[in-house]
Amino acid sequence: MRCQCTRRDFIARGMYGLGLGAGLPFILNRTSAALAAQALAGTSIEKHSNRILVVIELSGGNDGLNTVVPFGDAAYYHARPKLGIPERDVIKITDGFGFHPSMVGFERLYKDGNLAVVHGCGYDHPSLSHFSSMGFWHTGVPNGGESLGWLGRVADETLDPKQRNLIVNLGTSQSLAVRSRQHSPLVFDDPARFRREGTDTEKQALAELSQSRTTPNATLDFLASTAHNATESSDFVRQASSAYRTPVDYGQGGGLGGNLQRVAALIAAEMPTRLYYVTYQGNNFDTHVQQADLHSRLLMYTADAVRGFIDDVKRLGRGDDVAVMIFTEFGRRVEENGSLGTDHGTATPMFIVGKGVKGGLYGRPPSLTDLDDGNLKMTTDFRRVYATMIDGWLGCSQTSMILKGQFETFKVFA
Amino acid sequence: MIRGLHRPLFIALLSSFCAFTIAANARMAPAADAAADGWAGDLSPIAASDWNYERAAHLIERAGFGATPEEIARVAAMTPELAVNSLVNYETIDASALKPFDESGIWDPGMDPFPPSRAEAVRRAREHGEGLGEKVLAPGTQRRLQPVVDKFFYSLTANNIETQRLGLWWANRMIASPRPLEEKLTLFWHGHFATGQNKVRDYRMMLQQNRMLRANASGTLRDLLVGILKDPGMLVYLDNGENVKSHPNENFGRELLELFSMGVGNYSERDVREAARAFTGWTNDVLTYKFDTEQHDFGEKTFLGRTGPLNGEDIIDTILAQPVTGEYMAGKLYRYFVRDEISSDVKADLGRSFRASGYQIKPLMRRMLLSKDFYSTPSVATQIKSPVHLVVSTYKKMGLREIPTIPDFGRMTGGLGQTLFEPPNVAGWAGGRTWITPATLLQRGNLFRDVMFPDVKSFRPPDRAMSATDTRVGERLAQGMNITEATREGDAESNKMVDRDEDYNTRYGGYAGNLLAFKRTKLIPRQPAGINLTAMVTAAGADTADKVVDHFARRFLSVPLAEKDRALLVGFLRDKLGSSTVKPGDVLESSLRELLYLVLSTPEYQLG
Repeated sequence: MRCQCTRRDFIARGMYGLGLGAGLPFILNRTSAALAAQALAGTSIEKHSNRILVVIELSGGNDGLNTVVPFGDAAYYHARPKLGIPERDVIKITDGFGFHPSMVGFERLYKDGNLAVVHGCGYDHPSLSHFSSMGFWHTGVPNGGESLGWLGRVADETLDPKQRNLIVNLGTSQSLAVRSRQHSPLVFDDPARFRREGTDTEKQALAELSQSRTTPNATLDFLASTAHNATESSDFVRQASSAYRTPVDYGQGGGLGGNLQRVAALIAAEMPTRLYYVTYQGNNFDTHVQQADLHSRLLMYTADAVRGFIDDVKRLGRGDDVAVMIFTEFGRRVEENGSLGTDHGTATPMFIVGKGVKGGLYGRPPSLTDLDDGNLKMTTDFRRVYATMIDGWLGCSQTSMILKGQFETFKVFA
Repeated sequence: MIRGLHRPLFIALLSSFCAFTIAANARMAPAADAAADGWAGDLSPIAASDWNYERAAHLIERAGFGATPEEIARVAAMTPELAVNSLVNYETIDASALKPFDESGIWDPGMDPFPPSRAEAVRRAREHGEGLGEKVLAPGTQRRLQPVVDKFFYSLTANNIETQRLGLWWANRMIASPRPLEEKLTLFWHGHFATGQNKVRDYRMMLQQNRMLRANASGTLRDLLVGILKDPGMLVYLDNGENVKSHPNENFGRELLELFSMGVGNYSERDVREAARAFTGWTNDVLTYKFDTEQHDFGEKTFLGRTGPLNGEDIIDTILAQPVTGEYMAGKLYRYFVRDEISSDVKADLGRSFRASGYQIKPLMRRMLLSKDFYSTPSVATQIKSPVHLVVSTYKKMGLREIPTIPDFGRMTGGLGQTLFEPPNVAGWAGGRTWITPATLLQRGNLFRDVMFPDVKSFRPPDRAMSATDTRVGERLAQGMNITEATREGDAESNKMVDRDEDYNTRYGGYAGNLLAFKRTKLIPRQPAGINLTAMVTAAGADTADKVVDHFARRFLSVPLAEKDRALLVGFLRDKLGSSTVKPGDVLESSLRELLYLVLSTPEYQLG
């Protein structure tokens, strides 16, 4: 079932009601209208064609136990004599759990009822390798040989392949999570540099030289089709970003906040994108050594950036249409190591954030004493959270096909 | 590469050669060569009668950083065996003209060992009254720890700048070395044993590691493994100083197995832990490897089926005894030098011979580079050039022997996803299609517009660039604000924290550290590319628009242009010149530069 009226209403509201259209540069307006028209013509994700999913990857393996702190469990302090967050410092959200003290941004979101924590997310036979485990989260097929990303498959199953730019990946390289059979994700890092340089004659010639083609050299064809897509989309993205002004403070730390602000800019400019993928780059969360100070900073930046982003989309009038899912490839071992850090572990919490979210704690917290070789036994298959986003948020009925299995959703969305 | 080829050797090669003329060979395009289609998977050597200009160009592209047509012609004039040997047996070639790295001297007494974090630097300074060679101010003084915090940030910035200079130094070796394969292999090993200055925070370790990798680049895998596992940069990068008997840190053992030697899935988690135990006590005293007997676990371990009081070298030898190690490593070298896809037969064959040779890299390289498979259709012009290769080889094909510094080399490759000495993580650069996104593909062309039309006036050197925040702090201080006012911004929690500790101000430290680093690091001399395209086309006898386009295509592209694209480029130049004939003058030079910018921006140019 498509929902064209809502989409059309929304576009009218976005373009004129909010007065955004009038303030944008000509080319942006023109492109925006063209992209919007395209969106209307094509098939969108069923039921909720306005809805946007933003996935945030915290790479390196975030220490879940020091993020959502089980301060009520003596075993936590026993395993972490030096790194445990003292109960008095924890930002308490329930009787036994609370956020790391630097996550004031998450505290705000939680108190507003916009943040859900899902305990103990992982998968059977966990890999402790960054690359393998991240690959499993990217494909949504743990210990399997899937070559497409889970978000890529969401797009393949539900979005019109003729429509461009439905997936945006902010980063220097494309994530496996968005690899799709039919869609070509738009991947960029700095929008200001997402452009072809040169005179108009040169650019015109290069547009001709970058036409898609079919030759015996598959790599050449791949390059040509990517060049073709880049030529078509870069002006829009760049102008949307440079035209964007916001009073919201996304905090320090640069990377994540900056990228989320770019997402907000594209949302404000009516980009037809339904799936955004944003990474906190550089394996930052891999805190083997002296983790306390570093981890505190990372969590603060993350919480500030997400809080800023949610405030900003609310300000844009799109709060109801945006949900954020946050994950990492694994948590860390229960016991701290000898270097004031923590080693690779297994289960870890995930977060779902947005105005449409029913805030609270979901899932069962893993035991800190019934361990598997020193590691937590996961209590929630992470694909239940994926299913919640695909089915509950995007309203897509092919969830089990996309995830290659049945996964019970959480009632996070009304 | 042939520029520096040993002269007597080269003359001998040339005089021994008589089968073909260069010109005749040059007309034979490999794409049109039906024989090459059947060569895939054939590891037997290519015959001298199949050797030609295009195949010589392919060899130099992959085993080096490309070359000018004159240099390629000289290699085409050899037999394939001599051409490959001259690349692989590079020790006989004199490389003493290459300059050593010119260090700025940024390390002061007191800075070693460098603290792992700002918080730790502050803690030590509180305890000892000094830190990083700076004295803590008298009690009662406002921000008494500020000199230490300034010095901490100074060190981060100064090491960053020194690493930028180091990257430029290396790029200059790549373009100028008479031993191109030595640099290409060193670059391969840098990506394989990836270590990043961002974490190591000490350019000296990066330089030392680079020397070690170069010295062993074509030696044996065992020497490389032992070298890298005792390398201070790697020990710091993987935190092995923290791998101690009482608390083994698995990182080192895991990356050794997963990334450096065997590949995931060929060992158990228990093997990882046992390997970690065997490497306990492998640590460094700043720039020297140190075996810490106290921290080493001398107990019995079982690793990949072998039991005993194994130490780190026993672990390496056990790994080298596994057939999978030969396959994993030969496969990785194959994918780097030959093509992305490797058949299981080729992998098994190369792996077996690599292991049987005692993991000698030279025979493996010789075999791969001489094989018909290497010159087969699926191997030729099917690889996406890495950013470093793209930039270095472009300059080299233009005939330059020094890397221009406007635009900045590190910024150029970094914008495309590859900064020397800063791989994204311990897995190195993923390479292949991951280099390409819509944004980086546009950027790959844009770089060369900056090379053709350098913006000398508004160029801002990145080795003297401040972040927007630091610049703002500087401006506000200049306006007479105090440190607290000058460093205040925003309402997010992280922005409120900068001046929270009364003993120092973090944001001011960042700013002051920058200034000091700018003062104490040597400036990178800035100059644009000295290219003369008019002279280039004149020398090639290209006196019409058609001939110019053909010359550029032949000089720069590894795949032929489609007829319609060639026609478009010819038309472009003709319109610019207002004529089909080419006459020297200002219009000609700028038109040629525009044309070359287009050629270098094509999808075809990304392939090598």
